Amino acid sequence: MSNKAARNLFIYGSLFFFVIFLALTFDTMGKLDKRAPEITEEVNAGKMVWHKYDCIGCHTIFGNGSYFAPDMTKTAEKKPKEYLKKFLMDPKAVNPQASMPKLGITSEEADKLIAFLGWTSKVDTNGWPPKPILATAAGVAGRELTGGQKLYQSLGCSNCHMVNGIGGTTAPELTNVGSKRDKAWLTGHFKNPSAYVPNSAMPAFGNLSEKELNDLTDYMLTLKQEVKK
Amino acid sequence: MTIKHESQKIAQNFYTFAVLLFLVQVVVGIIAAVQFIWPGFFILNFNTIRTLHINALVVWLLVGFMGATYYVVSEESETELWSLPLAKFQFWATVVTITAVVLGYIIMGLYPQANILVSGTQLLNEGREYIEAPRWADILIVVSVLLFLLNCSMTVFKTKKWTGIQGVLLGGLVFLALMYLPGMFYTKSMVKDQFWWWWVVHLWVEGAWEIIAGALLAFMLMKLIGAKREVVEKWMYIEVGLVMFTGILGTGHHYYWIGTPSYWLWVGGIFSSLEPLPLLVMVWDAFRTTREHRQVTNKVGLFYAVAHAIFNFVGAGLWGIIHTLPQVNKWTHGTQITTAHGHLAFYGAYVLLVMAMIYVTLPAIRGVKEFNSSRAYQSFWWLTISMVFIVLTITGAGMVQTYMERLMGLDYVAVKANYNLWFWILRAIFGVGFLVGVGIFVVDYFKLGKEPARLKSAA
Repeated sequence: MSNKAARNLFIYGSLFFFVIFLALTFDTMGKLDKRAPEITEEVNAGKMVWHKYDCIGCHTIFGNGSYFAPDMTKTAEKKPKEYLKKFLMDPKAVNPQASMPKLGITSEEADKLIAFLGWTSKVDTNGWPPKPILATAAGVAGRELTGGQKLYQSLGCSNCHMVNGIGGTTAPELTNVGSKRDKAWLTGHFKNPSAYVPNSAMPAFGNLSEKELNDLTDYMLTLKQEVKK
Repeated sequence: MTIKHESQKIAQNFYTFAVLLFLVQVVVGIIAAVQFIWPGFFILNFNTIRTLHINALVVWLLVGFMGATYYVVSEESETELWSLPLAKFQFWATVVTITAVVLGYIIMGLYPQANILVSGTQLLNEGREYIEAPRWADILIVVSVLLFLLNCSMTVFKTKKWTGIQGVLLGGLVFLALMYLPGMFYTKSMVKDQFWWWWVVHLWVEGAWEIIAGALLAFMLMKLIGAKREVVEKWMYIEVGLVMFTGILGTGHHYYWIGTPSYWLWVGGIFSSLEPLPLLVMVWDAFRTTREHRQVTNKVGLFYAVAHAIFNFVGAGLWGIIHTLPQVNKWTHGTQITTAHGHLAFYGAYVLLVMAMIYVTLPAIRGVKEFNSSRAYQSFWWLTISMVFIVLTITGAGMVQTYMERLMGLDYVAVKANYNLWFWILRAIFGVGFLVGVGIFVVDYFKLGKEPARLKSAA
């Protein structure tokens, strides 16, 4: 191959691939709006808050960012809004172990940010992040679950709380909760958390039936394993 | 080798700024590494430190490319630069802009509320990874790059010696300048935001920058070992051609999970799997050329050039291909695996490239034929061994994270704070090793050619 031929191959080949890339980009732009909910003014205002505080400097969103703190794509789907709002405004007041600093996010800014995260959680991301294989399988293998255990799963408690190493770290660990609290405390706390724990970021579960509250409390009372630090 | 044109000395201004920013980048990198273990360490939070870490990287590499390009264009065109005062002005304008941006980041880090909106954009930090620089700085950077391109192009037009090397080099730089623009407008959709953001980030590092790398590698092979221009340029065209054929549609590997249509899984998977090919050709090219020609005066320059080719392939190529297929990437996306790839790729593809260009051109600029190269080798081994271990520790952390968080369903924070703690500690230790390498390099940079060449060179 002569130098001139190699040069022409480089120039025209690059242009060729760039044109295909442009065509795919054009097609993609036409399809994006159908793959996500409508962007309201509040969602857009939340995106501006996201940029203002340089959230991407620690977090990832759609898996892109700084890998220092959890991915935010589906957060609004997993964590209660009440919790998110309190956490955003003063992380360590909600979770003393939190690494996130208090940035001065105002109440309105927190609302906007939560609206923005609600939007990202509904974007069609081709199934990302995938459901963890083992945690998904653990609930169905072998034994029958009690009513309380089923509720614990269906209410998504493990998004924030941890039991025996599985679950979130944003709320207190429940591995040993059965030896720390009694039945009355637990039931009352489900109905109105902040009456028992000042400043609690946990939403109230007063809408559960008496039987459901009982089942969940009974399950909590079985959790009596010593936590070794 | 001595310089033929006085204005080639301008390269040294850019190199000095680049070398100092390299030092800054690695110092803040170590602070960031410690913050992984102890988040409250240091007055600035991780986000500011990381912004400084990655911005210092991008800027020092760009500034290094600029210095090298002024040198190469003057050499290839066999004439003085079109305007030396313009080049000096462009240099100082860049330094002032970058300093202002850095001060802005620090102010924003200390007082987040200072990042106010001014005519629709953030004043101090745009809050977008890699392109955090606010809009006013974007515009100044574009002006600086346009002045730089004008100066280089006018130099070429003076003698109209359109060599392949400077054609490809300037073509790569024009492409680089154009691909900065998709990062300069606001979109309400985070999906579109990331879509265009990848045009900047991907088409820079896996497009324009690799073109620049191909051209500079060709230049170095020609200068260092007297390889024939026709042969070197032909392979350069093949390499940069393959970079573009695979890299442009390879952008698709960033469009798997951000809300874009699923056909990108096919486009990105296929083309990005081919992206290591041109990098492999570059390694083969460097070895073949080196074997054919044995009279080498600047051995350390050649050493760095070949090391660049090898680690470009390992870091950008191999560490990229391990997680580029959508079937794998579904589990590894957004984990430390990406961080590991980023570190080795930037080190191999661009850090070693700019260092190689410095060792190839600086002796001529300082007017010495021989120089004491022992520090250059020392620094290479400190840097490379440390970086390889940094990458292995982060790869390990990424594998643990992928398994425990993505497969088992453990919480992000639990995995980071407990199971990966030792990886962070080891990474910080190797980071200090890397800083030692940078320190030796900085000393060498300032002393090169200013002390007797034979001093201790037998050691």
